[in-house]
Amino acid sequence: MARSLVPVLALALVVGLQSGCRRGSDETRGAAGGRTRLVLKYQPLWGPPGPFHELLSRFEQANPGVELVTEALPNASDLAHQFFLTSLEGRARDFDVLVVDVVWVPEFARAGWIADLSEAFPPARLREEFLPGPVEAVVVEGRTYAVPWYLDVGILYYRTDLVPRAPRTYAELERFAREAREREPGLQGYVWQGRQYEGLSCNVYEALWGHGGEAMEGGRVLLDTKPAREALTYLRGLIAEGVSPGTVTGFSEEEARRVFQQGRAVFMRNWPYAWAEAQKEDSPIRGKVGIAPLPTVDGEPGSGALGGWQLAVNAHVSPERRRLAEKLIAHLTSPEANRVLALHYARNPPRTALYEDSRLKEGAPFIAGLRELVERARPRPVTPYYNLISDVLQSEFSAAVAGLRTPEEALRRAQRQVDHLTGEAE
Amino acid sequence: MSARGSLERERRQAYWLVAPSVLVLAAVALYPILAAVWLSLHRFILVFGERRFIGLGNFAYLSGDARFWSALGNTAYFTVVAVTVELVLAVPLALLLQRAFPGRGLLRAAVLVPWAIPTVVSARLWAWMFNPDSGLINRLLGGQDINWLGAPGYALHAAILVDVWKTTPFVALLVLAGLQGIPEDLYKAARVDGASSWRTFRSITLPLLKPALLLALLFRSLDAFRVFDAIYVLTEGGPANTTETLSIYAYKTLMRSGDFGYGSALSVATFACVVVLAVVWLRLLGRAEEGR
Repeated sequence: MARSLVPVLALALVVGLQSGCRRGSDETRGAAGGRTRLVLKYQPLWGPPGPFHELLSRFEQANPGVELVTEALPNASDLAHQFFLTSLEGRARDFDVLVVDVVWVPEFARAGWIADLSEAFPPARLREEFLPGPVEAVVVEGRTYAVPWYLDVGILYYRTDLVPRAPRTYAELERFAREAREREPGLQGYVWQGRQYEGLSCNVYEALWGHGGEAMEGGRVLLDTKPAREALTYLRGLIAEGVSPGTVTGFSEEEARRVFQQGRAVFMRNWPYAWAEAQKEDSPIRGKVGIAPLPTVDGEPGSGALGGWQLAVNAHVSPERRRLAEKLIAHLTSPEANRVLALHYARNPPRTALYEDSRLKEGAPFIAGLRELVERARPRPVTPYYNLISDVLQSEFSAAVAGLRTPEEALRRAQRQVDHLTGEAE
Repeated sequence: MSARGSLERERRQAYWLVAPSVLVLAAVALYPILAAVWLSLHRFILVFGERRFIGLGNFAYLSGDARFWSALGNTAYFTVVAVTVELVLAVPLALLLQRAFPGRGLLRAAVLVPWAIPTVVSARLWAWMFNPDSGLINRLLGGQDINWLGAPGYALHAAILVDVWKTTPFVALLVLAGLQGIPEDLYKAARVDGASSWRTFRSITLPLLKPALLLALLFRSLDAFRVFDAIYVLTEGGPANTTETLSIYAYKTLMRSGDFGYGSALSVATFACVVVLAVVWLRLLGRAEEGR
């Protein structure tokens, strides 16, 4: 009895392993009741599910042969990246349309994981219809690899009751903060994101652009430059001179928002989501908050870092599925869909025309008012190696901001490591 | 003769019976290890789309990689301090739990609560308690504004504190099990001889507790050396990589950068450190058992 069981068990194990390896190759071919199953992988949008489901079912009505299935991803960008890394490298075909973070597009394109969509979405047309920042992030070497879905941008929040107007230059920001704190001791000046994570890189790049710097030059990620040194010196100086509390080196978005929300800071750098929180009924700062472009060294309105998500097509799916996937992307990035996402989920539209849309202006005036800010949004270095180098950037930026290394030394080290990592690609 | 034959048969049957579990173990434990070792001999970076054999190239780079050595230093520091503190706290706690007093059962169960909460959850709780502005810890310290998770000197110690909070009860239970293995007669004899309680502790409790302590050391140091979840939630390795441990470095290299070759080399290096540690402890443990 025992003996006869052994081969069975062994066989079961082997079969189990094999089918495990072939995961996903069969499922997608399956058509439920003659209909093609199209799978969309996306992150939860948070909000009433109704309007989004309606948007999806409109696609099904227009394409009777398609059964649309949505599958949720982890809400953390890191974990979603990990998921795609393992599944797309494993040539998974069990999803067709996927969301990609703004910094992943060149990486996924270069690795051959997402399809070239240039025919369905020519770069020239994207440039006409979409804001410049998101287009820069999805067009790699003249080819379209994704279509912007919704976007985020770094902006400056300020307290209208504590300062005369939004500061235009760094010097003004420091002076306004100092004056407000003289009137109200115990107040903090400027809170931002200084913890070692991706948010810090956004803050540093914003300061870099504000000092007239560029993130890339001819395909090389540029770090050891004068504007970069000035940017890190400025951020470190904010802490050293007490404009920002020393604790910002442990802050991500929520830590900063809480301090600002409690009315204990004059300025904050954050994403647009903090606005709705600040305007809630019981918010101590309700009605006392303004938003503005980030300041710069010379007073030109600054650029905020671009965040947000794009839709791309899994490169491993068949040509027929790809055509359907492109149709779905066109549907989900239409002006109508942009409006649904803005009105019901507070997601900022990447389409330029939406900011003039009368229904959006009426239903979500805050989003419509972001126009000047989203037009200036800029992506972090657009390079396939961004995820390869982002660790180095984060740790060296963190060292400079925490005062562990001088900006010069941190940038020299970062440049050396980044050149080493990307140089190997040649 | 026939008795011998049946023994032989029984032995063969025994092999067959353990074969499935050996197979399963090989599939889930041995195969991943060997695969990681094999990968670590390659240059395999997803975004470059290349995969080629480079022998020990990754390990050559690793030996000169300052970030690796700093991660190793952080890991060793974390392990030594956390495990030492846990042991020092666990022994008195175990002695207390051994005493008979009303509500002992309840207390024994209660001390396990930190151990029972998933680390990711408790680390998230601690992260808020460490919040410099509104966190509980600074308030308890009388309104200090210590930047627990953002200042280079503090962050690793904050992580150690979380680990101590979480695992001291577990170590205490291990020690308690050891305490209960000490025959009561020895204590009676010591009382008859008029030994002080300190003397009793030093000459009876501690020596006889040695195997249990070594076992706790073995478990805990291997665990602490691979620490990942608490630190990942608290600081993600920051500020300036001062809390980056080997596991976090390996994870970031593998999963964030998609550098499977070097990431595997880091995992293999971590594995080698853990194996050395385990061998040393098992040797000591064996000697302690013999000495009994």
